[in-house]
Amino acid sequence: MMLRTPPQRKRRAESVAGDESPVSDRRLVPYGGGAAAVPIASAEPSDPMVCTYHCRQMVKSEFMVAFNTLERQVGDYQARLETLHEQLCRSDDERKKCQDHLTFLEQELAATKGREHALQERLLKEVTDSHERHRAQLKRISELEVELNRESDSRKTAELSAASAKETIKDLEGKLQRLTESSEREKNMLKKELSFSQDSLNLSASKLAANLERMRLRAENSEKEAELLKQELKGLREQLNECLHQKSEVEHKLSRFSASSNQNTPTEDQKLVKLLQEEIRNYESEVREARRLRSSHVNNELLKEKLLEEKGRRERAEMELSKLMEFQERAQKLELELLSWKSLLREIPDVSCYDDIPKKFAALQKEVIENMIKVGEISASLKELEVKLEDASLSRQHAENESALAKEKAESAALGAKRLELMLASVTEERDRLKKDSFVLDKQKAGHTNETLLKDLAEKENSIREMENSLHQLRELLSHQHEELELMNEKLNVEARKVKSLEREGDRLRSEIALLESKLGHGDYCASSTKVLRMVNTLAVDNEAKHTIEALQAELKRTQEKLQAVEELKGQSDVGKIIDANIPEKLVQLKSQIAILEKREERYKAVFAEKISVFRRACCSLFGYKIVMDDQQRPNGIPVTRFTLQSIYAQSDDEKLEFEYESGTTNIVVNEYISQPEISHQVEIFIKKMNSIQAFTANLTMESFNKRTLS
Amino acid sequence: MASRTISKDIITLKGSAAIVGEFFGYAANSILYNRGVYPEESFAKVKKYGLTMLLTQDDGVKSFIASLTSQLSEWLESGKLQRVVLVIMSKATSEVLERWNFNIETDAEVVEKGVIREKSDKEIMREIQAIMRQIASCITYLPCLDEPCVFDVLAYTDKDVAVPFTWIESDAKLIQNPQMVKLHSFDTKIHKVDTLVSYKNDEWDEQ
Repeated sequence: MMLRTPPQRKRRAESVAGDESPVSDRRLVPYGGGAAAVPIASAEPSDPMVCTYHCRQMVKSEFMVAFNTLERQVGDYQARLETLHEQLCRSDDERKKCQDHLTFLEQELAATKGREHALQERLLKEVTDSHERHRAQLKRISELEVELNRESDSRKTAELSAASAKETIKDLEGKLQRLTESSEREKNMLKKELSFSQDSLNLSASKLAANLERMRLRAENSEKEAELLKQELKGLREQLNECLHQKSEVEHKLSRFSASSNQNTPTEDQKLVKLLQEEIRNYESEVREARRLRSSHVNNELLKEKLLEEKGRRERAEMELSKLMEFQERAQKLELELLSWKSLLREIPDVSCYDDIPKKFAALQKEVIENMIKVGEISASLKELEVKLEDASLSRQHAENESALAKEKAESAALGAKRLELMLASVTEERDRLKKDSFVLDKQKAGHTNETLLKDLAEKENSIREMENSLHQLRELLSHQHEELELMNEKLNVEARKVKSLEREGDRLRSEIALLESKLGHGDYCASSTKVLRMVNTLAVDNEAKHTIEALQAELKRTQEKLQAVEELKGQSDVGKIIDANIPEKLVQLKSQIAILEKREERYKAVFAEKISVFRRACCSLFGYKIVMDDQQRPNGIPVTRFTLQSIYAQSDDEKLEFEYESGTTNIVVNEYISQPEISHQVEIFIKKMNSIQAFTANLTMESFNKRTLS
Repeated sequence: MASRTISKDIITLKGSAAIVGEFFGYAANSILYNRGVYPEESFAKVKKYGLTMLLTQDDGVKSFIASLTSQLSEWLESGKLQRVVLVIMSKATSEVLERWNFNIETDAEVVEKGVIREKSDKEIMREIQAIMRQIASCITYLPCLDEPCVFDVLAYTDKDVAVPFTWIESDAKLIQNPQMVKLHSFDTKIHKVDTLVSYKNDEWDEQ
């Protein structure tokens, strides 16, 4: 508590030290007592009471003045104190505010620090994770590349071994081809022989068939006859029975008549008897005929049985023939196989006997199979590698995306750090300002408690320095991450460029495909590997060819006539010729036209001859006749086409049929061959009676075929 | 318990060639009917591929198409046939108005080694049916053929093919600046046939 009025000591000291009173010389006379003797400077001891009252009044007035001045001073001091106190309060308030602000800033700093720390940790984690993943991917990629190189090397070695195996296989295949060609040649030869033998067998089979048919026809005829005879026999039997019955009746009558009328006209009885005897004889003859028919019927049945036996034999013969053919084929195959094996033995190295060949082939096949398995495995591993590469690329893309995200986060962290820096700068500014204020306060107040503030400020400064250091480290980390991000961006750019190039290639290929499809639709083609053919209607060609040939022939005649006329003109005019400059050129043109027309005519003739020869050969093979066509003219001038037919089964060249074709009708021409009795008989039957040349020719073919086969 | 035997539809080179040759015969008839090259009354209905197909009764055209399909089958068996084109031309001016292009891709392995393939007959028939339906519906977008027309068939073969005496070399009979419409294709696993029609731009369309 501050005293408003200072104690006397102070006042005394102050009064002694300070104030000067105009009244006294600063000597004090004690009032009422002479305890404390103060040296009195006055010389007059005689007027002590007046002096002392005067002195006392003087002292009192001086004391009062001094008291007033002191009071005034006290008041001033008090006012100053109050102002100082107010200032102190204000500074206290400000300090509190600053302290609050500081605490708030500290809290924020701590929070930001914590967030930064957390962000930093997260960033570090993410960076470390991405680094680890990147490293793992790089390791994987390097491992995959190593594996790829190994696999490609092994694939190359396998391909080389496969190529060498293929070459050996090609060589062996070439050898086999040669063998097969030689075997085919032999096979063809054997086939020809076989065909000949088959033809002979067929001929014999056809002979047998013809015989069988003949026998069958005979059997049918005999069956018919037998049936007829049976019917006759039945009728005759019935007649016989009737006759016997009648005979018995007649005998009975005769016996009755003989008993009763022995004297009747014997001549009538004799006649009757004769008649009856004749009838009996007739019946007996009929019976004999019936027995003969029966015996013939029995013979027919025997023939039928023989026919059936022969049919069975024929079937057995056919089966055996077919078996023979099969056996022959098997024998041929076995022979071919033997030949092939022999040749293989000779040609294949490291093979000494037949048993070694399959072993060798098995070994080669095993090698080929192993190589193929290796190639398959390598291709499968290549595919797996490709799949892994794709996975690696996908993971790389994922890492790129993550790095992009990390980049974004780093940018956001950098922004946050920048914000924190700004805040720090503002905080440091405030701190400096507060320092200045506190320094001013320290100057104004003595023994103030600002040391705590300074301590706090010093602590804050330390923390701020630490934060600055951590910020610096974060910045370094961020710069490092930026560098990594830039590297990954470069890689991304390279990959993007590759993707663009691939897209361009794809577009180019698509455009090529569209162009090719348009060309295909347009109808373009490669003339070196393709040719365009058009079908021509043969009948139309024939007609057209004929028309063109006729037209060309007419043109040829005309040009030849012109040529002759021109040559005559040239020959006639020797002296004074009117030489036309265009004639040789026209001649050349006409000659060239003639040459062209002649070539065309030859071509058409060749085409026509080819077609006709094919047609003739087809007709010959189908109908069995070689047909020769001649256009002739009768004496009356009517054109007639003569066809000469010679059967392929003809035994001599004289066996020829001649026909004349005129306006839709065909007539046979009589020659030496036709005038033979057998042929003329057939002509009468088939051509004259039945009016069928086709049946005649067919029958003649069959007969000549039978003759040929039987002979 | 009844036992089931699974039947696999095996296709040989010969069978595939026969299928493609037969298809071309029916397709040619369908095109001739739908484009009005021959009068409608000259065609008769038959059942094929699950559809009612129309076959010409004109002897000349019939024999022409029959001999054509037999030769095409022969070339298909040897793997020498690359394309068949049915060309429709104006009778008066011989100008090519339409080209029905049948592109053929042959499996070389089957031709060389004689291996067989497996494909359901029903599946092939369904594919051919789709093409026939498309040919029938072509009148909706192809220009009308108002003038009398004739047709011809071109075969694109390998260079080393021996030319039969009923065939001659020809030009490709192209259309300048054609419009093209791609139709469906069918595949027997040995022969794959792609169909495409290119036609001369109609004057109305150009306007």
